Amino acid sequence: MTPARFIARQSLAGLTRDRSVLILIAFFAAMVLVTAWLGWSATNTVNAIYADAATYLSASGQPVPPNPVSQTASLAVLRNLGVYISLIGAFGSIVIGQLLIETDRRAGTLPLIGARPFERRDLALGKMRALVTATGAMMAVAGIISVATLVTIPSLVVGPGDLLRLALFLVAGWAYITIFGFLALGAAARMPATASGLIAATVVWLVVTFVLPELTANVHPTAAINPVSTLANTPDLGFFHVMSRVLGPLSLAEGFAWLSGDLLSFLPDGLAPRGPIPPAVTLSVALILAGLFAARSAAKLDLNAGGPDA
Amino acid sequence: MPELLPSLSSSVTTIALRDAREQLRDRFLLWAVLSLVVAAIVSAVTGAIALHGDAATYAMARDQLLALGRDASSIAPPEFYPLKLLRGTIEQIEIMGAVIALIAGYRAAAAERGRQTLALILTRPMPHWTYKLAKLIGGLSLAAASLGIAFAAMAALLPLISGVALTGGDLLRLALAWGAGVLYLSALFTLGFGLSLWAKSPASGLIYAFALWILVVLVAPQIGDTMDPDNQVAGGVFAQLSVPRAEQDRIKAGFAGYESFRNGIEVASVTKHFERFTFAILGIKDTYTGTPIADVMADKRGDLLFLFFFSLGLGGLVLLRPINPDRLTKEN
Repeated sequence: MTPARFIARQSLAGLTRDRSVLILIAFFAAMVLVTAWLGWSATNTVNAIYADAATYLSASGQPVPPNPVSQTASLAVLRNLGVYISLIGAFGSIVIGQLLIETDRRAGTLPLIGARPFERRDLALGKMRALVTATGAMMAVAGIISVATLVTIPSLVVGPGDLLRLALFLVAGWAYITIFGFLALGAAARMPATASGLIAATVVWLVVTFVLPELTANVHPTAAINPVSTLANTPDLGFFHVMSRVLGPLSLAEGFAWLSGDLLSFLPDGLAPRGPIPPAVTLSVALILAGLFAARSAAKLDLNAGGPDA
Repeated sequence: MPELLPSLSSSVTTIALRDAREQLRDRFLLWAVLSLVVAAIVSAVTGAIALHGDAATYAMARDQLLALGRDASSIAPPEFYPLKLLRGTIEQIEIMGAVIALIAGYRAAAAERGRQTLALILTRPMPHWTYKLAKLIGGLSLAAASLGIAFAAMAALLPLISGVALTGGDLLRLALAWGAGVLYLSALFTLGFGLSLWAKSPASGLIYAFALWILVVLVAPQIGDTMDPDNQVAGGVFAQLSVPRAEQDRIKAGFAGYESFRNGIEVASVTKHFERFTFAILGIKDTYTGTPIADVMADKRGDLLFLFFFSLGLGGLVLLRPINPDRLTKEN
């Protein structure tokens, strides 16, 4: 067993013993479970409203427009999943990233780890491997529950193409939440004060989720966490066009929302992503940069610090 | 007994002032206020830019109609109510303000727990609740000060970006929204403080507080918002179907059970009560735009009372729940 793998195993064992991590993952799984029901229920309600409205419009001799949701694909019932991944999944990843460093530091085991014949690089790779595995497990849970609920809901027809799209969506979700986990891991390694890594990564996540969408497209915070409202066109004004081009590649939450809409087949026709770079590219680049930040920070971790008062 | 009260008051003041000095010394207050003000300004300015865009589009459409010799009253002009530009600001207070309040609550607990000095403080001849009361007063003051600066900045900025001066009534509405905000942020401060004080470690308390924040501030209102049929279709389902208002109400009446369930999820969140009160008092919600303050207060008394009793209840819970000094000495 390589040292990195050994450290990853030890770190994962620590995570499975932490009650806050287990509660967060259970909360995430519960929300994934209700997401399909939410989408199905809301779609059914709109269909019923359309039927009522069509009756009224026909009776009053007015033209009946097409049902705005009748053409939506089966996967679209999972449209809330992207929101819960970007909220609970990202926060869970931040907590895991923070704990991977913080637990050893608070327990006073960092000097002991430093005394073992490990390279600093092995420690960094081991911690990152643990994070990647944990976030991967979260997405696997989301995938299993999503497929089970899709199969359970009557009247939904799910083909192999849909399952492939769902798998790609989960990969994108994994990349998105792992970015914030890497940031928390790196920040926790650089900032020894308790919970500093957690707070720093949460602040970055807040800015990305709630401030950048206002600057790029005047999407208010509440709309930013609504899977349909957030997929709005950039207002046709010079200011928003410039901001969208400049900040679009950094607006990862919007990029992930666009990818969710595209892969789960509820993206409005003709809606372009913010900025000139496709979201799949910005997400991949952000993942690599966050990984480099985490690796560099964890490799420079002060192994002499530790104990409850650290 | 008469000697006890001045002594308690002195203990509370000493702890509260020590906390205030620490907040100022490590610049937490500065960063908290700055973050809130920047988020509020970004929201208001982007909202104003979008409104100016709507106004320009309206002017162009009106000129085209007039040039064609047609009546321009067929298109509705955009509304110019400066307080409406605070929609994003209120939402930022709901979300960013709540996080700042939780972190402040965590810091208030960690200031002693993290340094293992809480057990020392508790050996002093004072009831434990005076320590907690001092912390809660500190949190209330922090919320009042940071929101006061944010709302004052908005009051100064709104006339500049909207081109419409604020009236005395507008300032009173801002003051009422500030009061509701202080109640809301104080409740979240209390939550962060209580959990960080009682959890196995302050950091675990902060994690639980953040998890509750996601559930109460983001997920519960989000579920209600997502279940709203009007949010399932871009632009709104009724607007897309071109159904008149009276017919919309008739159709909605047929979904009373669904709507009650949706509303029930929303009102379980304290955030929604804060939002409903402030959106009404500031006229952000169209049905309350221009409504006299007394009428809004009468209509939204329930939301305000919920905010008040929620904050009071949480505060009471924190004050009444004892601190276990024995456990604190064993924490890791």
